Amino acid sequence: MNRTKNLWRLSFALAKTQFKLKNEGSYLGIFWYLLNPLLMFILLLLIFSDRLGSQIHFYPLYLLLGIIMFNFFQQATTESTKAIMGSYSPIIKSINFPKESLIISTILKNIYSHIFEIILFVILSLILGAPLTGLIFYPLILIFFCVFIFGCCLIFSALTVYFVDLDNIWNFLVRVIWFATPIFYDIGGQTKLFYLNLFNPVYYYITITRDLVIYTKIPELWLVIGAATYSLLFLVLGLLIFNRLKNKFAELI
Amino acid sequence: MNQKIERVIVEDVSKKFQIGFKKNQSVLACLTSLVSGIEPRRSIQVLKGVSFKIREGEMVGIIGENGSGKSTLLRAIAGIYNFKGKIITRGKIISLIGLDIGMQSRLTMKDNIYFCCTLFGLSIKEVSQRFNSIVEFSELREFVNTKVYQFSSGMLQRLAFSIAIHCNPEILLLDEVFEVGDEKFREKSTKKIKGLVKRGVTVLLASHNLKLIEDHCDQVILMERGSLVKIGNPREIINIYLKKEFK
Repeated sequence: MNRTKNLWRLSFALAKTQFKLKNEGSYLGIFWYLLNPLLMFILLLLIFSDRLGSQIHFYPLYLLLGIIMFNFFQQATTESTKAIMGSYSPIIKSINFPKESLIISTILKNIYSHIFEIILFVILSLILGAPLTGLIFYPLILIFFCVFIFGCCLIFSALTVYFVDLDNIWNFLVRVIWFATPIFYDIGGQTKLFYLNLFNPVYYYITITRDLVIYTKIPELWLVIGAATYSLLFLVLGLLIFNRLKNKFAELI
Repeated sequence: MNQKIERVIVEDVSKKFQIGFKKNQSVLACLTSLVSGIEPRRSIQVLKGVSFKIREGEMVGIIGENGSGKSTLLRAIAGIYNFKGKIITRGKIISLIGLDIGMQSRLTMKDNIYFCCTLFGLSIKEVSQRFNSIVEFSELREFVNTKVYQFSSGMLQRLAFSIAIHCNPEILLLDEVFEVGDEKFREKSTKKIKGLVKRGVTVLLASHNLKLIEDHCDQVILMERGSLVKIGNPREIINIYLKKEFK
């Protein structure tokens, strides 16, 4: 119990520190976090709203939700590749503290900026007159999504200590996953893409969220089971790999 | 009779480091090694069957040449390195190894105090209660809102040491902490350590400063190439070390 309390306390302190360091000397603060998804949204909306988006109901909301959810996944996992090897590596060599806190803090920091992106989504929903009732389910989806991302981050952070170029490989792979995930298009009748996305966990979370939040309909059961399975699978895998490798971190960095 | 508890029990502790093996391989290098063969790994024994016990309220010095295993031993006790053998510690460990306690150079002294104390397991409330005392002890009051990248190494040492001793240590592990900084602060710090020892804190101090060790330690451990040569009275052990009788 005391260990868990200490882990969370430390995770929040690390997240606060990371946030302060990232915003050092910045007058626009959180605006910089919103700028990237916002520009991406405007650009994709201008290009695709008349083509791919014409068949999709509430296309701007469909697009924005896809962008901000994938952005959360991308930011957290990319930062996690530097969690152990980055600026905190000297501490790992001199103090014994729960290393998991470095990963949890990365997720906490990204949740914070994600909340602002969700506010942006709410504003757009109000402008377009879309229903907002489905948003009450979002925290539940976010928990499952965070568990999945936490598992991924544990795996990437631990493996980067052993394979230094993993962050470059992941930066490339995450772009491929971005295009493979239906963010700015709908899978529709594209069978090959549909089967491919069955192996893409992000697809499940984004589709469930769109169904619940934008279209206020209950998602199909196989999607819910898939999302829960991926969350559990990646959590178990992440904990197994991280716990197996963490004892060697201080020697290898 | 009041029996003092054994705070640190080290039993037959050994540690190997792998050398020659490029420790951070790339994925590509690993794939090519499947064809070219894996580079043979060599290992170096940094600790060899080290055993000793330290009771509460004892200050023990660790001396030895560079590479003798002093820092590795402290890291093993702190739980930073894994090892072969057994180490039992009873009490909260605060390690000050190479003055690195996680200070972030782009943060102010105040932010660093809160951050580092949290790293040592204190709650925000506890840090607030100790904040003034930490600042006073470090004698850096006027720099509370200064970012620490502007601090000299002596100032960093004062701050790190001040934070460490205010985090309720029961076992204090100090590695080369008095190598920088002025004589006045060193005296003040050693006096503070003696006060902590009187209150039952166990201190392990690895240092090349033999006078400091002789003046303040109850026992001294002499290390040589990862082995514990002898543990005993400071003067006797320092004489052995200086005369190189263990070689």
